[in-house]
Amino acid sequence: MTGDRNNNEYLPRPARITAVRRETFDVKTFSLEFVDRADAFSYKQGQFAEISVLGQGEVPISITSSPSRKGPMEFTIRAAGRVTSAMHDLGPGDALYLRGPYGNAFPFETLKGRNLYFVAGGIGLAPLRSLINMVLDSIEDFGDVKILYGAKNPEELCFRGELEEWKAIPGVEVYLTVDRASPGWTGPVGLVTALWDAAALSPENAVAILCGPPIMIKFAAAGLSGRGFGDEAIVMTLERYMKCGVGKCGHCNIGGSFVCTDGPVFDYAQVKRMPEKEGVF
Amino acid sequence: MSTYLLRKTDVRPLLKEASAVWDIFAPLREGVGDVNFKALPKDRLAEALENLVLDDEPTLLSPKTIFFPQNETMFAFGSGGIREQVESSPKLLFGVTSCDLSGLLFSDGFFAKDFPDRYYLSRSENRLIIVKGCLKPPRQGSCFCASAGTGPFAQRGFDLQLVDLGGEYLVEVGSGKGESFILAHSAFFASGDGRERAAEAVKRDATATLGPGVDFDKALRLMVTGDFEKNFARIGERCVYCGACLYVCPTCTCFNVVDRADGGSGSRMRTWDGCVFEGYTREASGHNPRPSKTARTARRYEHKLKYDPLVAGRSGCVGCGRCLDSCPVGIGMSKFIREVADGTEEM
Ligand SMILES: Cc1cc2nc3c(=O)[nH]c(=O)nc-3n(C[C@H](O)[C@H](O)[C@H](O)COP(=O)(O)OP(=O)(O)OC[C@H]3O[C@@H](n4cnc5c(N)ncnc54)[C@H](O)[C@@H]3O)c2cc1C
Ligand code: SF4
Ligand code: SF4
Ligand code: FES
Repeated sequence: MTGDRNNNEYLPRPARITAVRRETFDVKTFSLEFVDRADAFSYKQGQFAEISVLGQGEVPISITSSPSRKGPMEFTIRAAGRVTSAMHDLGPGDALYLRGPYGNAFPFETLKGRNLYFVAGGIGLAPLRSLINMVLDSIEDFGDVKILYGAKNPEELCFRGELEEWKAIPGVEVYLTVDRASPGWTGPVGLVTALWDAAALSPENAVAILCGPPIMIKFAAAGLSGRGFGDEAIVMTLERYMKCGVGKCGHCNIGGSFVCTDGPVFDYAQVKRMPEKEGVF
Repeated sequence: MSTYLLRKTDVRPLLKEASAVWDIFAPLREGVGDVNFKALPKDRLAEALENLVLDDEPTLLSPKTIFFPQNETMFAFGSGGIREQVESSPKLLFGVTSCDLSGLLFSDGFFAKDFPDRYYLSRSENRLIIVKGCLKPPRQGSCFCASAGTGPFAQRGFDLQLVDLGGEYLVEVGSGKGESFILAHSAFFASGDGRERAAEAVKRDATATLGPGVDFDKALRLMVTGDFEKNFARIGERCVYCGACLYVCPTCTCFNVVDRADGGSGSRMRTWDGCVFEGYTREASGHNPRPSKTARTARRYEHKLKYDPLVAGRSGCVGCGRCLDSCPVGIGMSKFIREVADGTEEM
């Protein structure tokens, strides 16, 4: 994680949007390629990039594509404010700038042979998708894979096509839930933590990987703990306001850590050691 | 360490000669009366040197502003793409206090580690620091460099250090760069042989003027083991969140990044930011992990006194006393350290 002294880490590289796919009313997935050098940069599962719309600003966005697959880098972005809304106004051929990849990564090698529970809320499935597809690309190395995914309502579930494809893979189970049903929804209603029983959650030889809104992470981690998951077997991402992504601007600090460089992936043991008053979740 | 003598009357002529090579930054009295580190304008040198402050007057802002300005352009953008904006002129800092030297060295380490910060590092890559130790505390009652182990005279880290002997300065050489500077301007320097003992006495007297000080080491130990939530809550209620303490602090390095654009062209800027502000951690969703006054106040003290020692191996407070001097409601690091070490209520 060290850079080159003469390399300016803050300068983004020009990229071009090659495709845009709508996920929900306010979420789109963008495929990007660099303009200056054709090679996609090499990244790890769970890392993020800083993406700029020049004149609007720069935001941290997880890389949702998988390092195990060739093809464009993909980013799934919710229109949340100024920069992300400006991105939603762009289409194929338009320019974006990006730098990275930053942050640590989800574990991979240490997950081999284990049963995996992916627990996601809302757009939190985007960073997990990178790891999920990487795992699925060598599924024979892993135990059971269960994907538990919740959204506010059925219309806000992302990657619906892919969820169907995942379901069809032997050894993979997908469980969906929504906070509020809408006409036509026949699945369960409730928080993602209400899926524990349906998914026959068991801590045995298992690791749970969580990504979603802070409040979901908080309850899901506590819930898994209550079900016998050890602290090292609960892996999560923390979200903090970020400006630089490289451990300098200070915004993302918690205690002595920077979420941008020491995280965003932490296990529950690390999270429990963080000072609670700094608002870990 | 070799030593030299520099007559006080030669300081201005020396700076004038050196300005052929260096951009010179020195404590200057500004129009409104404040003293700050400012670049001597090369075209109005004589006039600017009139405003050079050589006695122990406090500078309002720390010299970090030279390498980490309040706002700076990171790059410009437009139809031609991105144009990096870095600055790396040779800089001579004259008259830096010992505590401020510690602050600069601390910030150097922070900006250089992991992902090196090109803006700070290029501004500072070609610099010469001439420290001038304080005979009396510039911020009487607020300075606590002796307690923090950062002054009033520096042990290391300077290129040259001046010790005031009355009509002249004993010049201590701290680096090869410092020695080269003396060689380049040798007409101004005589040998300092035989005056070292006088200089040691001056340093001892200077330390004595600082008064009783604070128990810094005890406070650092207690920050790890103790519980100071009540202090943070009380201080957090009194603070008006103006940010002055952060801006004047030599080791505060937080920044915000914004784009300024007009049509298709513009620039990306960074500006000072600070952990005490409510918006510092607020996310687009409105979720704010650290909204309370108590937690934001705690962040400032714990970052410098608890986490910096843990992560950087040394305290992030160098005892300059600026935060107390600039706070409109009388909050300051020295008072906080006293509260921690002595269990008192100072503010
Ligand atoms: C490591 C990481 C990965 C992320 N991955 C994704 C992703 O894959 N998809 C997605 O849609 N969103 C993601 N986010 C959240 C996304 O960064 C914010 O929604 C975005 O910054 C909002 O910016 P804005 O300009 O649209 O909103 P505004 O409210 O206008 O935000 C202004 C500025 O505040 C900062 N900011 C605001 N909210 C956040 C936040 N939650 N996190 C960090 N900085 C923030 C940004 O610097 C932003 O430019 C991620 C956040 C982090 C920290
Ligand atoms: S915290 Fe206060 S006394 Fe300490 S270095 Fe910063 S401004 Fe100086
Ligand atoms: S200077 Fe004083 S009032 Fe202003 S933010 Fe600092 S502690 Fe609070
Ligand atoms: S985002 Fe700037 S320090 Fe982490």
